[in-house]
Amino acid sequence: MSQQTIFLPWQEGSAKSITFIVTKDCQLACKYCYLVGKNSKERMPFEIAKGAIDYILHHEEIFPDESVVWEFIGGEPFLEIELIDKICDYLKIEMYRLNHHWFNSYRFSFSTNGINYHEPRVQEFIHKNINHLSIGITIDGTQKKHDLNRIYKGNGKGTYEDVVKNIPLWLRDFPYGGTKVTVSSKDIPYIKDSILHLFSLGIHEVSINCVFENVWQEGDDILFEDQLCDLADEIIDLGLNEDYQCSFFNDQIGKPLDPTLFNQNWCGAGKMLSIDATGNFYPCTRFAQYSLRDKHAWIVGNIYDGIDQNKLRPFLTLDRLTQSPDKCIKCEVASGCAWCQGENYDAADTPTIYQRSTAICKMHKARVRANNYYWNKLHRKLGIEEEKTSKHKESMCSEYNSYC
Amino acid sequence: MKQNLSVQIVFPSYELPKEYLTVIGQIDHTIITESTTPTLSSKNSIYVHSGLTNLPQFDFLKDLNVVIRCKFSEIIHGGHLIASVFPFVRRLNIVMTDIEVINGEDLDGYNNTLNSLSDVILKEYVRGHFVQTNLLTDRFMLDEMNNCNAGIETITLAPDGKFYICPAFYFDSGDYGLGDSCFNVGDLENGLHIPNIRLYDLEHAPLCRICDAYQCKRCVWLNRKTTYEVNTPSHEQCVITHIERNASRSLLKRIQEKTTLLPNKVIKEINYLDPFDIKPNY
Repeated sequence: MSQQTIFLPWQEGSAKSITFIVTKDCQLACKYCYLVGKNSKERMPFEIAKGAIDYILHHEEIFPDESVVWEFIGGEPFLEIELIDKICDYLKIEMYRLNHHWFNSYRFSFSTNGINYHEPRVQEFIHKNINHLSIGITIDGTQKKHDLNRIYKGNGKGTYEDVVKNIPLWLRDFPYGGTKVTVSSKDIPYIKDSILHLFSLGIHEVSINCVFENVWQEGDDILFEDQLCDLADEIIDLGLNEDYQCSFFNDQIGKPLDPTLFNQNWCGAGKMLSIDATGNFYPCTRFAQYSLRDKHAWIVGNIYDGIDQNKLRPFLTLDRLTQSPDKCIKCEVASGCAWCQGENYDAADTPTIYQRSTAICKMHKARVRANNYYWNKLHRKLGIEEEKTSKHKESMCSEYNSYC
Repeated sequence: MKQNLSVQIVFPSYELPKEYLTVIGQIDHTIITESTTPTLSSKNSIYVHSGLTNLPQFDFLKDLNVVIRCKFSEIIHGGHLIASVFPFVRRLNIVMTDIEVINGEDLDGYNNTLNSLSDVILKEYVRGHFVQTNLLTDRFMLDEMNNCNAGIETITLAPDGKFYICPAFYFDSGDYGLGDSCFNVGDLENGLHIPNIRLYDLEHAPLCRICDAYQCKRCVWLNRKTTYEVNTPSHEQCVITHIERNASRSLLKRIQEKTTLLPNKVIKEINYLDPFDIKPNY
């Protein structure tokens, strides 16, 4: 497997991400889910999706991006496979009919809980669109860790068994498929075993991140660091670093950032576009009302009136320094510290995206300490083989794209 | 008052009780009053006209400070009425009351109006009357941003006993988006508290801090209304202030050609109307 293929999103940087929130329903009730307003009523009518597509494809001047990723999100998107299939058919026909510049440069993308991956209707869709498709199944690790958070709505039963049985089928369809793992306070003790378990399932790429919400308890950072150091030992001692990657370890993180050279925003909100069942546009799904605890939805237009570019200006002018507190600007280990613009907005003292939440601070610092341990140990084992590590470094630079 | 604070007092359209006037008379103050208010004639008074239609009937005493509040379309179509005021006043501020609804179609007309007003101002300068107006002459007197600075340098105490960032947030209870945000920032009982106060500061405004349309008021109320963020101006706001900036540049050059005034002042030529187009890409 080429390491260059890992962690590099398709058409990185030149693809517009457009997300259809096809349903707000999900079979699961994950304990860490940021979607506080999930429900079974808000399903996107096809006419709304069609209206969005018509608006977008007829306004190439405001969507000049070279490529497009049509993303489908829920809740659980595959609950609406019939609708999605119809939307994708319409997209293909219209991009072709309009001779749109995206016709030869598009992809459909899904992040699914994997529960109904095996169902005939889903499989039929996959094989119909396989050449333009990315699907990630979320599995959190061992059964213990997965079932701690990822439980069925209603009966509260863990979902691990119903997900893991679909992993081989998924890896057959997407041999380089990656999974996203989320860490919250309670499942820290299971991180090491979980990553190793995912590797053992044949998943070579594990993107993992701590939740951005303020859930962290006293001592979580120490426990987290211990877990990552133990994981580093296992990965290096077993030589897993050759074929597997865990996004926690990245030799570009944990350095101070020169304010004059590194002032870019971390998050892509505003460069993306989300559409909900009513036809409203958002700068990212995290700004739709079902994602927000304390704030009102940040709507930037709708399929009838189009996009109000003024409502996007704050996102497109946002930089690292303007939104960060002094402690982040002066931080000695600033590089790689992530943030979610939606969480920043939700947690802010006023309705603004210019107040960076720092709830994740101590967890980032713990990650940096463990990361240093990992690279020091790896360098000692290998001798400093710059060529090899720099290749790895390049592939990891874009990890943030897998973080949301 | 012990700190040499000057208070601007907005007078109502009716006559104030005598005891109010007595108290006001004890402090250093400026009166802002509607032009139709029973006279409080003072050289320090600022007379506010609503609309342009009554301008021809108003008796402009020499060297008045005047404010005209009007719609954008009135400026475009009533430039001659505005121009007629310049010979009589020390300063004329023109305040657009509907800037948030302006669209691109009106902008050429605005440019033409500013050029017409420039012709009149140039004549005044040539005859030695150095009239000021916010739209055209402020820019060539400034070397740095001269924004409203509400929230940083000024704060408003409203009749409800609460503090607001500026009067607009008190008077306009319209829809600002993002829910029913409460824009009061304290009250007389509990004191003043401005959350995220840094966002009112120029350094925390990514577009404004790279901009040289120094005459722009950088209205945080308008920003909040049009972009949801107090530190981010709308495209239309930026274009309008840059049309003013460029008209100011042309007027400055003509004044320099016709008089000995401002010989070393330079406003550089730029090729954009919205700083968004030149924002740094990090």
